Amino acid sequence: MPATEYQGSFLGRISIRRNQVIAMDGNHEQELEDLEHFQKHVSDRFSELLSPPPEDVPADALLSISWLRKLLDVFLCCDAEFKAILLMGRDPSQISKPPLDRLIPELLERAVKALDLCNAVTNGVESIRHCQRLAEIAVSALENKPIGDGQAKRAKKALTSLLSAMNLDDKEGTNTKTAERSWSFGRRGANKERAPVRSLSYQVAKNWSAAKQIQAMANNLVAPRGNEANGLASPVYIMSTVLVFVMWALVAAVPCQERNGLATHFPVPKQLSWAHSMIGLQDKIGDEWKKKEKKGMAGLLEEMQKLEKLGQSLIEFTDSYQYPGETEKVEEAAAQVAELAETCRRMEEGLVPLQMQIREVFHRIVRSRAEFLDVLDQGGKSSMPLV
Amino acid sequence: MEKNLHQPDENITKPETDEIEKPDQEDNEKKETEEKGEEEGGGGGGEEQGEEKTTDPDPQPEIEYTLETASEDIDRFLSNLSSVPKQDKEGDTDDHNEEEQDKEHVPVVTGVEIPGCLEKYLDFVEEEFSKHETPESKLKGYQPTEDDATYLKSVERISKLYSNLSGVFKLDSDKGPLINRIGRIQQRVMSYIEDEFRNLLEDSKVVIEPDHQKQDQASSDHCELPQSGDQSNPNPENDFPGYPSEVLTLLNKIAKEMISGGFESECCEVYLITRRNVIEESLKQIGFEKISIDEVHKMHWESLEREIPSWIKAFKQCARVYFPGERKLVETIFPDFPSLSDSLFSNLTRGVVIQLLNFAEAVAISKRSQEKLFKFLDIYETLRDDLPAIDSLFPEECAKELRAETTTARCRIGETAICIFCDLENSIKSDTSKTPVPGGAVHPLTRYTMNYLKLTCEYKDTVEQVFKDHSKIERADSTSRPRNYEGGGGDSQNYNNDENQSPFAAQLMRVMGLLDANLEAKSKLYKDISLSCIFMMNNGRYMLQKIKGSAEIHQVMGDTWCRKRSSDLRNYHKNYQRETWTKLLGCLNHEGLMVNGKVVKPVLKERFKSFNAMFEEIHKTQGSWVVSDEQLQSELRVSISAVVIPAYRSFMGRFSQYLDPGRQTEKYIKFQSEDIETYIDELFDGNPTSMARRR
Repeated sequence: MPATEYQGSFLGRISIRRNQVIAMDGNHEQELEDLEHFQKHVSDRFSELLSPPPEDVPADALLSISWLRKLLDVFLCCDAEFKAILLMGRDPSQISKPPLDRLIPELLERAVKALDLCNAVTNGVESIRHCQRLAEIAVSALENKPIGDGQAKRAKKALTSLLSAMNLDDKEGTNTKTAERSWSFGRRGANKERAPVRSLSYQVAKNWSAAKQIQAMANNLVAPRGNEANGLASPVYIMSTVLVFVMWALVAAVPCQERNGLATHFPVPKQLSWAHSMIGLQDKIGDEWKKKEKKGMAGLLEEMQKLEKLGQSLIEFTDSYQYPGETEKVEEAAAQVAELAETCRRMEEGLVPLQMQIREVFHRIVRSRAEFLDVLDQGGKSSMPLV
Repeated sequence: MEKNLHQPDENITKPETDEIEKPDQEDNEKKETEEKGEEEGGGGGGEEQGEEKTTDPDPQPEIEYTLETASEDIDRFLSNLSSVPKQDKEGDTDDHNEEEQDKEHVPVVTGVEIPGCLEKYLDFVEEEFSKHETPESKLKGYQPTEDDATYLKSVERISKLYSNLSGVFKLDSDKGPLINRIGRIQQRVMSYIEDEFRNLLEDSKVVIEPDHQKQDQASSDHCELPQSGDQSNPNPENDFPGYPSEVLTLLNKIAKEMISGGFESECCEVYLITRRNVIEESLKQIGFEKISIDEVHKMHWESLEREIPSWIKAFKQCARVYFPGERKLVETIFPDFPSLSDSLFSNLTRGVVIQLLNFAEAVAISKRSQEKLFKFLDIYETLRDDLPAIDSLFPEECAKELRAETTTARCRIGETAICIFCDLENSIKSDTSKTPVPGGAVHPLTRYTMNYLKLTCEYKDTVEQVFKDHSKIERADSTSRPRNYEGGGGDSQNYNNDENQSPFAAQLMRVMGLLDANLEAKSKLYKDISLSCIFMMNNGRYMLQKIKGSAEIHQVMGDTWCRKRSSDLRNYHKNYQRETWTKLLGCLNHEGLMVNGKVVKPVLKERFKSFNAMFEEIHKTQGSWVVSDEQLQSELRVSISAVVIPAYRSFMGRFSQYLDPGRQTEKYIKFQSEDIETYIDELFDGNPTSMARRR
């Protein structure tokens, strides 16, 4: 994993230097240099995420699976570096005095909320996998040449389920909306009411809302001003922003419980140089979201959007399809099927690793939080109990 | 699946067929295809190549065929077909392979003769399907009919026809329309049985009732769910939401048809979604509510404490009932597809395990506080004890992941448990109150600490394990600092410097050492040395009693500690005796009373006077002191009496005669030795009674 390589060398450097200067109690110049490096790394990493993918690797597009995986890598790197700056070789009392005694507990609060978001997104990926499998059914049916009526129907059925699974109202975690059943055979005459077809979509908890969590995380996020801007308050702010951004982007990409009204992102001051790329990404994702908000809540994941678009058009195709089909239409569909197949392949390759990476992030957040608490505990024995 | 059982009502089908045929054509089918198909069928009969043909194309198919006879012919056709190119075609082989094989063998099989009755058969079978698929006669889980079996047999036949013929004749060949028609029929029935599969899975999720189990046992030819030991099933929550055996049979057959028909994906999705929902539902029913980590984090302990038993119950229920039940269910429904069963089972339950573990993680990161320790240990034990049960159910890769996840959660709980236990140190250190407990009684800190330790030791084995496991992790983790509890065993305060002492025992010793030191400091708050001795005795006694009263904590502290503690107590006792009573006994000293063999009366009077005053004073103060341990109280009184009374008695015996009887005696001898005894017995019961009132 690139994340580990990256942090390895960096941590090594910091720790060696810290050991050398440890006796001098907070060598300020050294610290400023560390901060500068951190800002630069954050800036570099995000500008890489912002830069458009090379033409020949469309798989890396914004909000694609592989882009999300890169984003998570970025998070892991930033987190490692952040901890190195704040914790390594530092006297615990340094981070338990103002303003850090307030800022760090706030960061840790955000971390707790991020854990739920990780879980919500994991659930979301689960339902994306369901969509992927439905798309695969359609692909396998429509890859036949020529396409039989039965196969067209089979594909249509799978795609209809796919689209209805995508357009679930995400307010209800466990969905009870009746899927479109027009494709169903049999049951002539008696259109009896039947149990709604349930899909794979699970709640984090009753009344839990991804949107509210993100908003709560962003609420008290204020850039340090004046003197604080040069001290350790600054990396805490940067890391908080990274955390909120990463969570926001995940929620934007992956369907999860209750995420209305997140299109407007949280504000990051424009004058901060490290934040430029992040703001760029915010704008792009925000625009995408606004475009998408009106129709359904499938999430902005690039692959899912593909599934939706191709699904819709292939449903139209299968709707009117009659063996042996019109050459022109069949050819057009074949191209779409190929694209769908390619998308499915990318999902097959990427979703499980993505899910595991989200879990890794989850565990990392827990661990980092514990490390901070430990240090705060030692530094601030006399002060209020934390968190 | 071999041969269709002929129904006795064969003859009835004939007239019916003709009547329904026409509407059916208009209704469902595209006439064009129908006609074409018939032509093709006829054509196929014409260009016969003469090998393997067992059935002559019947000259008058419309009149002669019924569903049954046509089915028979088709079966024969299919079995010949499969025997030609040596393709193993028993329906349950991997369908992908089939297709490939078919393609390979295309040249060999081009001579396949499509029987003339095929079109007719398709007509029949479509009609059969239509009849069956009305809501009134859908597959009935509980009373599967002969009809269902025939129906599924037809489904199988159609699938075979499709896979065989589509392998030989491409859709763009001249047989295309025919293949297309079969494909359409197959899709239709597959879609139908998929719905039925879903319905059965959704609607039939019933808890197996005891009476039903009997029924199951009676018909022993099918797998039953669950048979997991609970015979009488008094506890409904032990039930696995399964299906009666008839339904299982049907589910199994449908799954088989769907998979061999190439509709494996559809089948699996339906299975996954419905069963996952069943599990969610069941968990909800046994009282497990999903709570977000954030919520757990903010919750008051009183509320969270109530959630923990529900979680433990849910975890155990999953480990012992639901997951084994799911495993068995998937194997019952998909017995011929072990790897499919594996992946279905993992997909189904993996998320549930993670979700359950998330709660443990959430609890682990909630704010630490002393009272949480025991619930933490409960969670720890659950994670430790119930993992093996789950572990064996999962295919290796998934088991590995879940093992790692569970271990992580368990470590986190363990680590936090250790922190909580170690926080006891801080709470002892920070108890610096300057107000002495009145009467030298047992300090609340002693009570709290000892009761806490005693409770902790009820989890002794677990705590020992937690300390051992966690210490290892701690050392490996370089970024976080080593906590103080390590190496505590070497401290000077410890009584037991055994090298082999467990980390927990070391920590416990450390806590006891701190408590001792704290009490020592508190004893200094008493100005009266006697009282501080009583205080130390009281507290020491309390600890000793607690430790002796619980085998677990006694085991950890060891006999050496207890012996040392007892001898400490004896020392305090001696000090107390000396401080209080040696002074008093000084009054009874014979020295200085006799000068040249004569008793010096003023001195004697003075002695009596000061004895009386001193004893009264002692009675007054020490009567208000508290020794609540009865044994200690009586030990003290006995030992006091043993020194004071004989000395007083002998002093009186020797010197009372020198006082003039009457007023003088009355004035100076206020106590008879029995009075002394009575007054001694009034010491240490916390009532400052004055003697005056008594007299």
